[in-house]
Amino acid sequence: MIGGDVRLDGGAAPHLLLTVPELQADPISVEAVAPAPCTMACPAGVNVKAYVSLIAEGRFAEALDEVRRRCTLPSVCGRICHAPCEPACTRSVVDGPLAIRALKRFVADVGDDDRVVAPVAVSKDQAVAVIGSGPAGLTAAHDLRRAGYQVTIFEAKPELGGMLRYGIADYRLPPDVLDAEIAAVLGVGIDVETGHELSSYEDVTALMEGGYDAVLVAVGAQRGRLLAIPGEDDSAAIEDALGFLRRVNEGDRTSVEGKVIVIGGGSTAIEAARTALRLGARPVEILYRRSRDEMPAGHEEVVQAEAEGVTFRFLAAPQRAVIRDGRLTGIECLEMELGEPDGDGRRRPVPIPDSTFFAESDRVLAAVGQEAVLDFVPNDDAAMVDRGLLAADEGTSMTRWWGVFAAGDVVSGPATVIEAIAAGHEAADSIAAYLETGTPRLPRSLHAPAVEYGLADPPPVESPPVPAPVLGLEPGDEFAEVEQAYTADQAVAEAGRCLRCGPCSECAACAVTCDRRHLLVGLAPDGATRPRTWLPLRTTAAVAGRLRANGSAAGGVASASGDTTDAAVEVRPVVVDYVEERCRGCSLCLDVCQFEALALRNPDDPESRVVLDPAACRGCALCAAVCPTAALRPAAHADGWWDAVLAAIFEPDTGDEAGPAVVVTCDTRPHAGSPAEGDVVACRCVGQVHPGMLLELARRGATRITVETCADCRFEDGARLAQQHVEETSALLAALGGDATSVTLVPAARPGAPDQAGAVSDALAMALRGEGG
Amino acid sequence: MVTLTELKKDTRALLCNSCAKCSTACPLDGFAGFSPVRMVSVGPTADEVREQAVAAQRCLTCSLCEIRCPQGVHIAEFARGLRREATDGLREPCPHGQVFQAAAVPEWAGRVPSRDLSWIDEDLRVAETGEIALFVGCLPLFDALFEDRFGVRTTDIARSAIRALNQLGIEPVVVAEERCCGHDLLWGGDDDGFATLARANADSFAARGVELILTTCAECCRTWRLDYPEAVPEYQPRVQHLVEYLDERLQADELAFRDDDTARTVTYQDPCRLGRHLGVTDAPRRLLDAAPGVELAEMDRSGADAVCCGTAGFIHCDAASRRLQAERLASASDTGATTLLTACPKCLIHFACAQNEDGRRNRPSPAIEVEDLTIFTTRMLAGLEASSPGTNGERTEAVT
Repeated sequence: MIGGDVRLDGGAAPHLLLTVPELQADPISVEAVAPAPCTMACPAGVNVKAYVSLIAEGRFAEALDEVRRRCTLPSVCGRICHAPCEPACTRSVVDGPLAIRALKRFVADVGDDDRVVAPVAVSKDQAVAVIGSGPAGLTAAHDLRRAGYQVTIFEAKPELGGMLRYGIADYRLPPDVLDAEIAAVLGVGIDVETGHELSSYEDVTALMEGGYDAVLVAVGAQRGRLLAIPGEDDSAAIEDALGFLRRVNEGDRTSVEGKVIVIGGGSTAIEAARTALRLGARPVEILYRRSRDEMPAGHEEVVQAEAEGVTFRFLAAPQRAVIRDGRLTGIECLEMELGEPDGDGRRRPVPIPDSTFFAESDRVLAAVGQEAVLDFVPNDDAAMVDRGLLAADEGTSMTRWWGVFAAGDVVSGPATVIEAIAAGHEAADSIAAYLETGTPRLPRSLHAPAVEYGLADPPPVESPPVPAPVLGLEPGDEFAEVEQAYTADQAVAEAGRCLRCGPCSECAACAVTCDRRHLLVGLAPDGATRPRTWLPLRTTAAVAGRLRANGSAAGGVASASGDTTDAAVEVRPVVVDYVEERCRGCSLCLDVCQFEALALRNPDDPESRVVLDPAACRGCALCAAVCPTAALRPAAHADGWWDAVLAAIFEPDTGDEAGPAVVVTCDTRPHAGSPAEGDVVACRCVGQVHPGMLLELARRGATRITVETCADCRFEDGARLAQQHVEETSALLAALGGDATSVTLVPAARPGAPDQAGAVSDALAMALRGEGG
Repeated sequence: MVTLTELKKDTRALLCNSCAKCSTACPLDGFAGFSPVRMVSVGPTADEVREQAVAAQRCLTCSLCEIRCPQGVHIAEFARGLRREATDGLREPCPHGQVFQAAAVPEWAGRVPSRDLSWIDEDLRVAETGEIALFVGCLPLFDALFEDRFGVRTTDIARSAIRALNQLGIEPVVVAEERCCGHDLLWGGDDDGFATLARANADSFAARGVELILTTCAECCRTWRLDYPEAVPEYQPRVQHLVEYLDERLQADELAFRDDDTARTVTYQDPCRLGRHLGVTDAPRRLLDAAPGVELAEMDRSGADAVCCGTAGFIHCDAASRRLQAERLASASDTGATTLLTACPKCLIHFACAQNEDGRRNRPSPAIEVEDLTIFTTRMLAGLEASSPGTNGERTEAVT
């Protein structure tokens, strides 16, 4: 891909600046722009687009690594996350959002069967006590342990997992999946103490005095609320759904007889209803005071519940439990209608006068809210409690007790697993800062402001989401997992629907690969509708303008801000072009590769060829200069760069009989401003410009060829090879009857040392004039 | 533009009966991607032609298949014809940074270069004009690239040739305006480039009154003898490899070896261009037979059946080349010979490269010295005692 032909000011002859990575002068900051909507929607900041992109490429293990960077419990989230990323998906307006949760579930299931989690070394002398082993506690413990702190989890129940184990039914989250997930978290070296309940203030102080430098309270909101209606305390047949679920999850599979009514519209209501159904209750009805649209429960959950036979009665609120002869017969309800929206934007239910009706029921499960059990807070400490929850600072997660932090449902009230994970991360960050500096972390915003990404033009071809398979309710195996995982093909297909909103996939693999941000950037071909390797990338307006001037900037996305322009460009690391079929296994390249990017496939096999590790390659292509078979070539050559350079230098008829002068230089030090007269050929490393290229320049009539070498370059052999090539070219020119002195080597200006640039430029000018040196 | 039918007709490929004896004989058999019979029986669709034009770039054009072909198809010529169809995007990049192709291209920015002839030692006698000329070829270019890398100094071959000719009382013409013979352009599919070079060289040599052109390179020899007459029909000098010429002089009792009772066993690699393309297999053997103390131990496969050194010209090189070199060196070593002689500087360079590579990779390498036949022969001529230049890898001072 040709960078451009930017004409510099010069004399009569046109001066060209030809560089491969056109944008190197304007390094691209991937961090500076807003991520994709899915990533922005994730409370824990999981880079959704990155892992979806990796799944689309079939790179499942890397995808799972990407998930794990922010999501402690991928298998859990892959099953029960409420997936706020999905409604945010830009594809929603085309043919439905990507099934992102199902994709995460897929990689969590297949990503790394053979993963061994090794304990992390303890590098800090401080210890943290984490109370509660739900998602918030596990996440914070995991983060802090990986940061080198000693961490002990204290759990009241015999098994870890908190609400994940005792509040989520097995048919949604099988216990063995949870066990494996927790084992992986604990694998980094977290100590666990079960049967340790936080029931008094002394329990907290004992920890602080017992060697723990910080305490995180993540005990959740364990108590289910009742309905607060007359009569509910008079019958054991009315209980809170959470207690019911906890009992079942603890192994009590006592059958449930008769008709069950569940009150509520959240996940717990659905879960309780489906669990009752599994234990034999018939019929099971959910009563909800608003309409279907306002239900907090996930759409799939509702659909699956209905498919299993759960019925719904909307716009109904319980008023009174009806008990006859000590036995519950049903509840008296009122019909409701929706009024004005309330504080959270949902329309408030308003009772319809005289609409009382009786709902027959043998059992009632209340799923109308949860509250924290705060027995460890002394009664008189009002500052510690806020509306039934533990009060913690929003920015630092610290409670009013110095050194005691809180996170998860105990602070927020009942929320979702991914929100708890997010809270765990934030608390861990703050605790680490507190232990490091004595001050908890100051509030910071996790996300940049939202950007709305539009659709490419033309819009993508419709291809609706692939639903994950769902199993029906099987008698005899009622608690088997309902949702099934994608096959690999299905996952790749579903991930392939991603529209790649926002700037590239934000995986930052390029930055890891390229310590100088040398990226090969080119234009998307005309009419391309975001093919896989062409990622929309935010560039500066100036660069985009140049790109457009050179061709066309296809694609492009709508941008909220005015000072930047979007152009669809390709970003890929500059890696040497390697064609294994041409390799003869001579191993010359191994001697010049300082990045260990090249190795013999099998050193014991005398016929072994070389393999290239693209992740290690820095693209200097010095190997290409020594490769005798053209198996290795500078990346740009595969794109016809060299031919275009020759054409640009020699094809314009300048009327100058002397022929052009050419300066071969490194592309990281802009040649502009140098006194050297001539067309500049900027390449990744001048050491890659071999005698064949120099000879071709001379043969075509270049009167002077100056190769600038850098003594300080990280491409250690570059200068040596450049010198060898210049000498060889001189010898070849002499043998052929050309001007052996027309090819010269000069040291280039040192980057970042402008005071020396003048002297070096003088040397350059002298060399160009053919004077000494 | 030659059509596929014309190419098939010209090379007798129309007669191919797909017996696949060529593929069985092909040294590349076992390496994916190339099959002579598939190439020769290529069908008329553009896709197929393109596919085979790409595959044909791997052909060694060694013509080993041709001696088996019952129909007498000129398979190497057919490969050459197909390569013309490999346009820019399909053309394999040439080895060694395309340096020999760059050097060969006839246009030199409007100037006619005059080669540096300072490699001709002062005691050597050459002429400006005359009937007999030495076509030096790429030897000075090879030195620029390979002498430091693995100690092969190919100008020693040219020096030996001039010395031998001087010994016969001949002052050969050496032409400073000499260009590449064009072998690699021709076999790379660049017919036009080749024709320009052929014309330029023919004009230079004709202008000097040259009637006999001697080469020390099997490829130059083939090109001048078989391909130039087609490109430049009006200039038809005699063309011989120096080895043939020395053999003729030997048979005419004009050449004598000096007495030397050192017993040496050597073996001989027939270059494809000299052996199969030109049928010159006896002349080198007669020379070696006449050399005192020299015993020729033939390799398993020799003469018309000899196996290629792995690469023709500098057109394509890969793992197949490496394996052929290794096998050929082993085969040479198996004869018990201490020296492997060849009459082509390309063979010399390719074998030296393989040996150098073995050294670098600590691979067991057949212990055999590789030397050029012209140097070897010249060193033993009567009157050129002891101090002739150029055993492989040694720098020797000029004869006084």
